[in-house]
Amino acid sequence: MAHQKTPYQWSARGFIAPGVLLIAVLLYLPLLWTVYLSFTDYNGLGSPDWIGLDNYVEMFTDGDFLTSALNTVLWVVGTLIIPVGIGLAVALLTWNLGGGLWLRLPFLIPYALSGIGVGVVWSFILSSGGALDQALAVFGILDPPRWLLDAPLNTVVMIIAAAWQGVGVNALLFTIGLQAIPKEPLEAARIDGANGIRLFTSILWPMLRPLTAVVVGLSIVASLKTFDIVWGMTKGGPGTVSETLALTMYKETFVNSDYGLGSAIAVFLTVITLVASVTYLRQQLSPKKEF
Amino acid sequence: MISRRKIAITVTGLVLAGAALAGCSGGSGGGGDGGETTGTLNFYTDKAAWKPDFESLNETSSADVDIDLKTTGYSDANQYDAFIKQSFRTSKSPGLFTWHTGQSLKELVDEGLIAETTDIWKKAIDEGWVSEDLAKGYTFDDKQYCVPMNIAYWIMFYNKAAFADNDVEVPTTWDELNTAAETLKDAGVTPYYQTSTLFTFQWFQHLVASTDPDLYEGLTTGDVKYTDPEIVDVMNLWLDEQKDGWFSDPGSTTDPAVALKQGDFAMINFGTFFAGNLAGAGMSTDDYGMFAIPAVNGDLEKTPVAVESGPICVAESSSQKDLGLAYSEWWMSDGAQTAWNAAHGDVAFNPKAEVADPALAELGSEIAGDDYQLYDRFFEAMPTEIVTTAIEQFGAFNANPGDPMPFLEKIQATADKYWAEQE
Repeated sequence: MAHQKTPYQWSARGFIAPGVLLIAVLLYLPLLWTVYLSFTDYNGLGSPDWIGLDNYVEMFTDGDFLTSALNTVLWVVGTLIIPVGIGLAVALLTWNLGGGLWLRLPFLIPYALSGIGVGVVWSFILSSGGALDQALAVFGILDPPRWLLDAPLNTVVMIIAAAWQGVGVNALLFTIGLQAIPKEPLEAARIDGANGIRLFTSILWPMLRPLTAVVVGLSIVASLKTFDIVWGMTKGGPGTVSETLALTMYKETFVNSDYGLGSAIAVFLTVITLVASVTYLRQQLSPKKEF
Repeated sequence: MISRRKIAITVTGLVLAGAALAGCSGGSGGGGDGGETTGTLNFYTDKAAWKPDFESLNETSSADVDIDLKTTGYSDANQYDAFIKQSFRTSKSPGLFTWHTGQSLKELVDEGLIAETTDIWKKAIDEGWVSEDLAKGYTFDDKQYCVPMNIAYWIMFYNKAAFADNDVEVPTTWDELNTAAETLKDAGVTPYYQTSTLFTFQWFQHLVASTDPDLYEGLTTGDVKYTDPEIVDVMNLWLDEQKDGWFSDPGSTTDPAVALKQGDFAMINFGTFFAGNLAGAGMSTDDYGMFAIPAVNGDLEKTPVAVESGPICVAESSSQKDLGLAYSEWWMSDGAQTAWNAAHGDVAFNPKAEVADPALAELGSEIAGDDYQLYDRFFEAMPTEIVTTAIEQFGAFNANPGDPMPFLEKIQATADKYWAEQE
């Protein structure tokens, strides 16, 4: 028997139609257009020429693409260890303290800055003869490392700059997670003598797991598309040694006007981001059997 | 009843969404004049910092041709280029916009997107407003497109105090330039500026073009490879100078104008527009001087000097095409260029225009004379993809000077790909 739509259902469809149309036009169509462009040779003028898989072949055989991919992996690992790790530490050290909010607040302020702004500020600090070099000179270190000129050091210091910005929001999220933990198991654990590391590993960490999964998931996605801070600090250089996939995509598309190759990198980056985040979150957030 | 209601609701929703999207894509372009040659002209440029200079000309242009500019400035060149390219797909293509000579202009001309300016050029040449040589960069299939916005010569700026303190005279030969660099280095003054991003190409361009102009020309056409022995020799010359410590720290982010002022280095190879940066840093021609860089090859009859010329163009499909062309014609005149020079500085492409800065006027006259030969700056002379790779690799070379071959091989790989696609 055919299912009859009620007037309410038709009304609901009418009301959501504008939203659906906007999503389709503003998100799905550009995505499909990008996938199409990745199979074409296109300079932004005239009509794209279909060239099949040539852009993908060129992408995977280009040595600079491998450098970008490795740098992106470094960003993923680095932003998991530093901003997420330090964010968790800050949350753990301050969540139960009186006035903990005021201790966390300074970490949160840089989050209000744009990535490109953070890049510009840190490039003044880390450039040759910049603020850090001048500070080191006071302590007699006259031949400091070339922070932004040598790889992989330049990527490492840029991850630290990103951590300066990202620690606060991670600390905030972990604090929310800690505050949501019921008091009863905590008190029971304390009565049983659990404190410090034991309390963390046996009670806090397992109960933080859903929130940790979200923080780590967000961090993976954000680090895979790292662009602005690198553009602000090194523009991917010297040469291409500090390029990330997002920066290579931007360069090919908007500097070289090779929209086809840029789109191929965009598609690759999108697939990697989707696979990484969906796989991770499914694994972490799927209901576990009790027995 | 139900049927009418559900149809009405659905249609209303779709109409609202359509209206919202139409609002996004439409908008008032303003100034659509359908063939008018007076009024307000919408002008787009990636030189946002020059917006006050452009708009200060409105008084003169209103009086002369009854046109004034409404300027929209972009500060991000890549974003600007993408915007202009996309605008050709709409009815709002610009009545006047700045662009780039070389391959970037050829792309637009090949697609029929740019209004022809052959008649304007003919009049300008007849009036003595511009040299025929300059027309070459604007000529495709014997027709001209766009008009020059400006020109700049790529020359050497130097700190007069650094020269005077070390008894260094302005060099007129390559040997004298090298002696000056040695003297300065021995005195603890770094001779030359360098960086690791963007402006990394100028020393290479001078070394190649002033060793053999044909060698440089060969690179622009693909007849010469970056890995050819002659180019490797040039790079080794550059490497020797690097090893001698003649170049500044490529990782410094100090504003080069400020750095020249405070003596971080004694000389900087830049376009003549850099005089404006030096004025902004508080230097006057009492503090800095300029000279055309001597040729590496002393046997050349004329000293090669790189010239940069940026165009102002009119979109063929623009509703303000006639207005844009009328402004372009006025722009070439000596009256317009005198006003522009007073507002913005730099040398002038129109020899009849008055150049406000006496030092630039003298240098411009000297280079326009018989002892110099102009060639297109690397940025415009080479295809974009090759320029992108080259400035990256020259930046990497500046950061870590060493065997030039790996750097040249990367540039040549891009060149091979580009030239293969052109066949």
